Amino acid sequence: MSISVRQLYRGLEKTQTHLVQSTEIATASMCQHLFKLSYPYGVSRGERDYLIANAVHDIMSIAIHGPITENWHYKTKQSKEITQKIVRDSSSIIENILKDTKEYASREARKIPETFDQDVRERFEGLVTGVAKKLMKKFEQPNRTFSEITITNPQKHHEGRIDAILEFSNGYGLLDWKSYDIKKANGSGKERWQLISNILLSNYRYTGDEDDWSKFRFASIVYHGGAYMPRLPIQEKHIGKIKEDRLFSYRTLCGEKVYAQKPKFCPVCDTNAEGCSDCRFYRDDARMAFAGQLPDNYRKITGQLFGNRYKVLEERAETHRHKYVASTMIEAYGERTAIDELKKYGIIHTGYKFVSADDTIVLFRKDDDETFLEPKKILRIIGKEENIPLLSCVSEQATVIRVEYCDLILNFRSKATVERAKLQLFDLPLVMIRDEINLTRRMLEPLHKFHRLAADVLIRKECYDDLK
Amino acid sequence: MSLCLDTEQLRILKWRINSKGIAACIGPPGCGKTTTGSALAVKLVAEGITDKLLLVAYTNAAVNEFAWEICNIMGPTAAREYCIRTGNRAGIDCELPIEFSINAERIRAKKIVLCTTLSLKRLSSYMRFDNMIIDEAGIERLEHLLAPFVLGVNQLNAFQTNNRNCNSINNLIDLASSCGIVATVIGDPKQSRPMGLEEYDRSAIEWVLKYGPKDTLKITHRLPDKLSGLVNDFARYDGLRSSPDIASRRLILDKSPNPIYREIIDPEEVVTWLNINGEEKALGQSSWANDIEAKVCAKICRELRYITKKSIAVVTRFSEQRRIITRYVQRSGLLNIKVSTTTGALGTQADIVLFSLVRNNPERIVGQAGTLQDLNVAISRAKEKLIIVGNFDTMLNGWSRLPSNSRYGYKSPSRRLAQLIDSKYGKLINPPSVICE
Repeated sequence: MSISVRQLYRGLEKTQTHLVQSTEIATASMCQHLFKLSYPYGVSRGERDYLIANAVHDIMSIAIHGPITENWHYKTKQSKEITQKIVRDSSSIIENILKDTKEYASREARKIPETFDQDVRERFEGLVTGVAKKLMKKFEQPNRTFSEITITNPQKHHEGRIDAILEFSNGYGLLDWKSYDIKKANGSGKERWQLISNILLSNYRYTGDEDDWSKFRFASIVYHGGAYMPRLPIQEKHIGKIKEDRLFSYRTLCGEKVYAQKPKFCPVCDTNAEGCSDCRFYRDDARMAFAGQLPDNYRKITGQLFGNRYKVLEERAETHRHKYVASTMIEAYGERTAIDELKKYGIIHTGYKFVSADDTIVLFRKDDDETFLEPKKILRIIGKEENIPLLSCVSEQATVIRVEYCDLILNFRSKATVERAKLQLFDLPLVMIRDEINLTRRMLEPLHKFHRLAADVLIRKECYDDLK
Repeated sequence: MSLCLDTEQLRILKWRINSKGIAACIGPPGCGKTTTGSALAVKLVAEGITDKLLLVAYTNAAVNEFAWEICNIMGPTAAREYCIRTGNRAGIDCELPIEFSINAERIRAKKIVLCTTLSLKRLSSYMRFDNMIIDEAGIERLEHLLAPFVLGVNQLNAFQTNNRNCNSINNLIDLASSCGIVATVIGDPKQSRPMGLEEYDRSAIEWVLKYGPKDTLKITHRLPDKLSGLVNDFARYDGLRSSPDIASRRLILDKSPNPIYREIIDPEEVVTWLNINGEEKALGQSSWANDIEAKVCAKICRELRYITKKSIAVVTRFSEQRRIITRYVQRSGLLNIKVSTTTGALGTQADIVLFSLVRNNPERIVGQAGTLQDLNVAISRAKEKLIIVGNFDTMLNGWSRLPSNSRYGYKSPSRRLAQLIDSKYGKLINPPSVICE
């Protein structure tokens, strides 16, 4: 074998192993300055609690495998009755998720809205109505469904989590649940850009090439009472924009000097929405720096802050390195040989089978006791599907609790995750790969706050007045 | 309140109680960094100097240790009344007599808040602390240091500074001090490097050391004379010494060891280097293991467990070696033997410590196993006896990893350690062949 795994790890240190998330590409597509506000600046926008939306997502992710597909009626005119049937059939799923979410929220001291139960039920019903009214009318019952799939395309530095995929005999349909409010999906906003980004990922999943549209049938944002479907075929200029913004985001993360373009209309700055003052602050900062108006001590301090920001981003790239190593090995030697080689180095673990689950704790077992796993390590548990690239297969994340001889005990994020994994993951041959938690935003935020503090202390107010 | 501090700790306490701004306190191994920090916290609150104090560290283990120390000083009842532990529930020590909460109102009602750096995000951004103590600053980075600082900013001070001449503020530490942040940053840059990428140039405490005032503790309450001398000369602490009550402490065994192990376990010799010629093996993405060393460590542990009830720990630089040693130790049916990496061993101690070096190659490249911080941590965990297991020649002539743009490497600090042990502080022995089988 000419490429050694360790050499690959060392070699990749010198390249950039960043991945851009679909949601980040969508932000950059709205306004490139908005992307920079998150990375590298570290501005966290909005303290909104997504408790309700997350609960609805969890319910949908389980119901899509059972009540929704089971009650799928092609070309139906009785969407109301079907909706009610699905809601009735999903009652136990809803109850369990409501209970678990409330338990989690009280454990985390998060405020549970008084109308929590009602809101979750209403939004779930709204989304089911959207499916029954729009999707069932147009598309036949899917052969298979997947929910909450993470797809990584290392060649294009792109990653995203897809709410649901419906598989038909002649292709696939992509669904995105709009659960955070009951407004209609905006056909020109962030949601649509995210949808198109995710289509590129799904194309990669099914054909190995993001530009191969042969398996694509439709994509839809399902909102309360309806579904938005972009006109097909997706316009070349829109796909081009996504690719451009993906490259912009990637190069920004890599620390390259990339100039951000402000669009004719920015939904944040042009509407005075949350985050606009931070965005203006950094744009003013850049203008003053260009004009040489910044005091020396301010430039020195913010220089130190920027240096550290890019180191934080480098660390973010580090968290994706395992995926790049796996992908490079697979490309060079094929999947089977690469997996065997990566197993020898403890990067990939195979042979484990699901035994039982209790709450969020799941027991796996394999035939031998040779293992590289240790407690506290984070794993991506991949269910290996036939003819699908490894990093696009259905997967979930979990933390190692204990390793005892042939047994492996993992802790999953929530009961809903375990439930979902039982439905779509545990029956497949399991491949486990090292994963990491991304704490980039948490690390960048204090640097942003000190940047602003430095400006408050070291730049005289008159300088800003001069700028105006 | 029960507390017994040495002269060095009292000096630092007095200094930090009477001063503002940000300062560093360096604590070599066993000098009582946590004790000093906890005593400072209690004194600041008890004397009414501080109304609200934040105690923060990078790991949950360190925060829990801080909490226990405060309970020891204040007593559990007072600790319960004044302190609160917050952050991630999974990381707390359930036996702590201090309340755990993430409720903003509960936290606001207490004077001392204990939390990890990464959990600070859970605190309300409106919460303000007028004093803070930051532990483990050697493994933290600049952004970890600034995270608690954000909660200590006095906007009025910032506004006043803007109206005055602010040309004298030339670095982040000055900026933070001018905004009313009062913090004591505790750590030891010679014991730890910043977490994360190898290229991180400066740890949190090094930022403070570069721009702010500092003081160093110099009396160790863990290391007996020979070990404190070794650590002092190796890490160049400039005057680290043992506290008189433990200086002459030696290992006392319940039974005499098997003749094979007699020279290795010799209680009179505080430091023993067992010169083993095991083969190193590359494992994992960047780790190393040495099977013979792992077996030898397990055998010595088994013998030690048979002849003494003292606490035993095994330390190694590499996680793969830790995994292999753990497996051998478990297979030997040994209980209560802690096997950890040098990073995991930070802040811990044991009566007897075995240190597995792992690296052994003809080029004598010791890489990360030869860094000052890792070697320093490994040799400074033992209270009575340190047994180093590994190839002496590799360490004596060791090179750090060759830089990519140069034909020449750097001489590894492992050379100094090998020389010091061989010439002054320990005994180099060759193992009986039966041990290496």
